[in-house]
Amino acid sequence: MTSARKPPRPSARAAEISALQAALAAEHAAVYGYGVVGAMLTSHLQSQARADWVAHQEARDTLQAMLVKLGATPVAASPAYQLPFAVAASASAVRLAVALEDGVVQAYLGLVAVTDRTLRSFGALAMQPPANRAVAWRGSTVAFPGMPTTAVST
Amino acid sequence: MLAASPTTLPLFLALSACKGPAVLSGPPPVANETQMLLHAVTAEQNLIWIYNKAITGYSALGPTLSPLLAEHQAHLAQLTARVVEPTGRKVPDTVTARPALDPTADGALAQLRAAEQAAVARLLSRLGAASPSLAQLYASVAASEATHVTTLTSRIQQGGARS
Repeated sequence: MTSARKPPRPSARAAEISALQAALAAEHAAVYGYGVVGAMLTSHLQSQARADWVAHQEARDTLQAMLVKLGATPVAASPAYQLPFAVAASASAVRLAVALEDGVVQAYLGLVAVTDRTLRSFGALAMQPPANRAVAWRGSTVAFPGMPTTAVST
Repeated sequence: MLAASPTTLPLFLALSACKGPAVLSGPPPVANETQMLLHAVTAEQNLIWIYNKAITGYSALGPTLSPLLAEHQAHLAQLTARVVEPTGRKVPDTVTARPALDPTADGALAQLRAAEQAAVARLLSRLGAASPSLAQLYASVAASEATHVTTLTSRIQQGGARS
């Protein structure tokens, strides 16, 4: 008996793996970045950073498992990351948390462009927790999470 | 102008029986993707309508609701801009759902939250059949509306209009 579902074309599969790897790389960066964020915060903000750090570790593990299932080798975390700006106090730590979450949302949005419907749905759903965390850190919502400004300018 | 004369009538009858381009029929059917896009446009119009109604009815909710309303207006603008067919036809500017607003501010917040949750679910259901670019727009709008759900939930937990 054969599956009714046709296997994806090699180029489609490569695009899926590439998008998953990009999401994984963003999660690795977030895991690293939240170490910096948490070190600069105290009290309930530090607790929030710790909870978000754990959420990114879980998301990273999920993506790694998905890639292995597709026969790919998950991209490894870098030993260190260049921060987008100097983080020396709580205000810049909060800004970094926003940047990390925005980066993860954007990476998951890349998954929504693949052909596979299951991965599209996964990407769209996976955007929502980091979009919410970005709002919590930023203190305000945005109209188009993950979309480059140029794509939605009127 | 072509008049039906004894000589042109047979030609007319023959043409009307042809299966060629339907030059004498109505406009071509709208593509499925466009149909879904038009539904998404209408859904945003409905959300904007209920937000406006809530802001008018409960001015104390204005500071919370106005930024969310502005984002819905941005969603509507982007979705409308993606409608490229049928050529020359205007995108419908119609609100199709005008529910009664809940008689309490807290109830109105819960009503808006339910409307946002339904909007997120509808957008996610449209992903599969959309082009990659349109799917990304739907996903981004859905993520935005998911953050509205959280914002409204937080406001409800803080005591709605009393806070």
